[in-house]
Amino acid sequence: MSQANLLTIVVFLPLAGAVAAAFFPPAEPKQHKALALIVTVATFLASLGLWFGFDAAPGAREFQFEVQAPWIPSLGIGFHLGLDGVALLLVMLTTALTPIVVLSSWNAVHERVKEFMIAMLVLETAMLGSFAALDLILFYVFWEAVLVPMYLLIGIWGSENRLYATVKFFVFTFVASVLMLVAIIYVGAKAGGTFDYVQVRQVLQVSGPAQRWLFLAFAVAFAVKVPMFPLHTWLPDAHTEAPTAGSVILAGVLLKMGTFGFFRYALPLFPEATLHYRTAIAALAVIGIVYGALMCLVQKDMKRLVAYSSVSHMGFVMLGLMALTAEGLTGGVYQMLNHGVSTGALFLLVGMLYERRHTRAIAEYGGVAKRVPWIAAVFVVVTLSSIGLPGTNGFVGEFLILSGTWLAKLAHSPWFSAVGATGVILGAVYMLLLVERVFFGPLQNKKNAGLLDLSLREWVVIAPLLVLIGVMGLMPQPFLDPARQPVDRLLSRFAQVERRLQESDPARPPTTGTQPPALAGRE
Amino acid sequence: MGDLAAAQSYLWLIVVLPLLGAAVNGLIGRRLGKANVAVIAIGVMVAAFVLSVIAFSWALAGETLHFKGGTWFRVPGPDGRALIDVSWGFFVDRLSGTLALIVTGVGSLIHVYAASYMSHEDDFGYARFFTYLNLFVAAMMTLVLGDSLVLTFVGWEGVGLCSYLLIGFWYSDQQKAYCGRKAFVTNRIGDFGFLIGLFALLAVFGTVEYGAMSHAVHGASAETVLGAGVFSGKTLGWALTFATLGLFVGCAGKSAQLPLYVWLPDAMAGPTPVSALIHAATMVTAGVYLVARTSFLFALAPASMAVVTMIGALTAVVAAAIAFAQNDIKKVLAYSTVSQLGFMFIGVGAGVYFAGVMHLVTHAFFKACLFLGAGSVMHGMHEDTDIRNMGGLWSKMPHTAKTFGIATLAITGIVPLSGFFSKDAILAGALFSENHAYPWVGKAAYVLGTLAAAGTAFYMVRCFALTFAGKARTEAAKHAHESSSLMTIPLWVLAALSVVALVLGLPEFEVFGPLGEVFGKFMHPVFAQAGEILGEHEHVVLWPFLVAWGIAVAMGWLAWQMYAGAWRGVPERLTRALPGLYRFTLDKFRVDELYDVFPIGFVRGLAWWLWRLVDAFAIDGVLVNGVARFCGSLARAFRVFQNGDAQRYAAVIAIAAAVILWTVVGVGGH
Repeated sequence: MSQANLLTIVVFLPLAGAVAAAFFPPAEPKQHKALALIVTVATFLASLGLWFGFDAAPGAREFQFEVQAPWIPSLGIGFHLGLDGVALLLVMLTTALTPIVVLSSWNAVHERVKEFMIAMLVLETAMLGSFAALDLILFYVFWEAVLVPMYLLIGIWGSENRLYATVKFFVFTFVASVLMLVAIIYVGAKAGGTFDYVQVRQVLQVSGPAQRWLFLAFAVAFAVKVPMFPLHTWLPDAHTEAPTAGSVILAGVLLKMGTFGFFRYALPLFPEATLHYRTAIAALAVIGIVYGALMCLVQKDMKRLVAYSSVSHMGFVMLGLMALTAEGLTGGVYQMLNHGVSTGALFLLVGMLYERRHTRAIAEYGGVAKRVPWIAAVFVVVTLSSIGLPGTNGFVGEFLILSGTWLAKLAHSPWFSAVGATGVILGAVYMLLLVERVFFGPLQNKKNAGLLDLSLREWVVIAPLLVLIGVMGLMPQPFLDPARQPVDRLLSRFAQVERRLQESDPARPPTTGTQPPALAGRE
Repeated sequence: MGDLAAAQSYLWLIVVLPLLGAAVNGLIGRRLGKANVAVIAIGVMVAAFVLSVIAFSWALAGETLHFKGGTWFRVPGPDGRALIDVSWGFFVDRLSGTLALIVTGVGSLIHVYAASYMSHEDDFGYARFFTYLNLFVAAMMTLVLGDSLVLTFVGWEGVGLCSYLLIGFWYSDQQKAYCGRKAFVTNRIGDFGFLIGLFALLAVFGTVEYGAMSHAVHGASAETVLGAGVFSGKTLGWALTFATLGLFVGCAGKSAQLPLYVWLPDAMAGPTPVSALIHAATMVTAGVYLVARTSFLFALAPASMAVVTMIGALTAVVAAAIAFAQNDIKKVLAYSTVSQLGFMFIGVGAGVYFAGVMHLVTHAFFKACLFLGAGSVMHGMHEDTDIRNMGGLWSKMPHTAKTFGIATLAITGIVPLSGFFSKDAILAGALFSENHAYPWVGKAAYVLGTLAAAGTAFYMVRCFALTFAGKARTEAAKHAHESSSLMTIPLWVLAALSVVALVLGLPEFEVFGPLGEVFGKFMHPVFAQAGEILGEHEHVVLWPFLVAWGIAVAMGWLAWQMYAGAWRGVPERLTRALPGLYRFTLDKFRVDELYDVFPIGFVRGLAWWLWRLVDAFAIDGVLVNGVARFCGSLARAFRVFQNGDAQRYAAVIAIAAAVILWTVVGVGGH
């Protein structure tokens, strides 16, 4: 079996599972749960083949496990899949999180279990596909395909206000994505009638203003997904109303599709426009960090709080990307994984509390650590990861992003870094406040007196994430290395563009890459 | 003893052993039973202490030990050069070796004490306590032994975490949980400064490893103009001033200096052994250690040194003033710690580094002794901490009383105990120090420091007198009992150390022969580089020592007279004469209330208004739902024409036909 088939298998195995599930009777929820679990675990195991088969060494092929087949040749649309290091990391994140999510909804979903599991499986294929696609139209298909199962997950299995939330989610992302579709079609035409990403990237030549419009069309679609301030208001609603599984996937994977989109499409395809809008995007990222954190301070609903913290954390990712330094970009990629792990874990834990008490209101809890010491302990560990304590994964990401921004050649970048770093303070404020209000203090609410601690199934759900928090905090290098080649390629691309810009305007100083140390060379 | 290479290659065990202890006790501790938990926790501490002694003995012999572990994380750019290249490296020189001895040595004693002190906890709580305590030691040793600012930062945040967990150890008390969070958040504000300073140094040197930075600035002039990066166009001195001020913000957070000291008094909510270990002897001195560690950078930034000195001096005075009126025995000691830390910063800020570090060492002994003594008193008094309810404990708790007395004399600065020499080495050193940019700083610090020393003598003797002298004032005090020997033995060891440590600080007078300034000479290699930049002074005169001694005795005597002697009515008359001032001091100058308004209330209000105005109103209300409403009303308007009513359709058709006809005919007909 060639390596190429492996990627196709990983991407479509969940879909095959969904098709199989369609033949099982809806009255047998256990079979559907088991089938979904088996399929997602199998997908994860298969994806391990990708992880160990991937060559991250310098000089290795950019896209590995490539598959290429004609799809609609008359329109220049092909079926082209392949992974670079960053896509690999996100594929691994997806395949690792999905079985956890399936297991977490074991007892939480009672109605329409068959449809629920099918939606989960279709969702997984769509997510994997959008990371693995190397054709713009194929990417767009997967990208939009994500919306449908997610729309259903929130709309059918969500809580009280689910319809408002799911429509808001759908309209926000869909409207923005349609703009991207227009831009994709324009790009394909400009690139000589092909939508193949590798070819487009090579041949695309668009003038300044056109490039800026194209960049904006892509960037808005991605920025909604991230979400960046001020396009973020769908997220708190969607998260709050979604079932636990939906929240975990949404925070863990879907948001990364936005930042991945910037990294894979918006930046390398439109470098001049990126340089043009970079300061504005970095400013919005920093605003997002601080603003999201401030919002967390005044939330009364646990899930809404965690949702706003996502706005803050994803602001870090965007800041790292906009720094355009090796440190910042690598940190941004790493922070995508961190956010998937730690915010995913937070939503799982909040979901566990919700399953016990059927309320997300912080005020309904208080002092429950005495009743559920292990949930409290795990929650604290995840909190520490979320606020970037050294020794957890969060620290490595935030440290790389903030130092990478500080060392960037972007004008005023130390200010971006310093203001962004206040998010580290605010993060501690709101997360510890949450911990204190939910777990510490006297146990006053009688309804909490009978809470049960983590069950074996819940341990199985949460333990892998705890292990990841520790491993990625203490041994981050295996997760940083795959990002190195894509990051270097992107930077060289920008360096090339900057050289060209400098030819026409010799006074223009370079703005990408890391500042050399001030005292270097002095001996 | 083995050879140097062996000692070097086992340095990591000093960090990992306590970490292992924490892991075992944390995961299965509650099943092991209290005795096993204590044995594991104390066992790893003693082992770490032994390793530290071995490492220290090499430092004593003039060697530096450097353990170079693997890479933690490394991000090379496209050109292959990595600015971010963090590896696990630990090193022991005379400074970090001394600190390692204090942390593991005093730490071991406090573990022993805590094994008895915490015995009322249930199995789970007991295991949890020792998990946190061991974890703290692991973090603290990372802070001390780390060979780069990043590793120091790792430990720095790690000890902050343990502090948070231990202050809020009895978390079902809302107030205690709050105190823990307050400590963590205040420290995070400091850590923000630390990070900024770290980034600034990274931009200057391209590395934050201590050895490499010290090498890079060796012989450099502060006037060097920097060519690249954030600081391009600025001088090296300017950049280092910026960076060191950032680091000092971190120090002010961790070491409870103005304006970030507010968390430390509240940290007394934690169990008393924690107050002794973390909030007196070790963690809070991390800021002093950091300034000493980076002395070669501070020396090139006179403005930063002036700031360190003045903040230290002001903190020393303010905290001493607050301590005058406190009635909670642990609060008195807490403000005393804040004040003593101020002294240490005067020392390291004025360039008398060895004196600052020496005070760190002696303070670790006598303050740990005082806190453990306070814990013993609390045990005897059934957890009452109000010194107004005590009195007469001298006869009930002889061991506690005697050791507390010795430590009180030591901190007060009575000859010949250790505090006298370390504190007065700082004050005398500051007086004769010369800050090139701000020459008045040393003298100002001397005046403020002497004032604070006078205050120290007063409030400490007051505390001792109210607790142990006179007659018992409550039933609880009448029936107080001495604590177990597991608790009193550490007290005696620490009391003995606070006496013996005086040999470290003997000033360089001929009578003392080779012992004169032995600690200063011992530390000399560590601070040689800073000394070269600052220029070294040889001012050893007798009179500052005599002044300090005189003040300590006079103030101590005054306090004794007022609280245990003939003038016992005076304090009450004073509080009645100046009720406003008394309340203001009792309320700790209402700084907490000030902070509740700004920044806490301000940020909270801002967040609420942003949420309502921007998120709920502007974005969701006007834009998102507004667009939806607009589309909705547009659709409603059009719906008028399509409601299924045949007559209305006919009317619409008729009107439309008329309009079309008119248009066509009208336009076509002219």
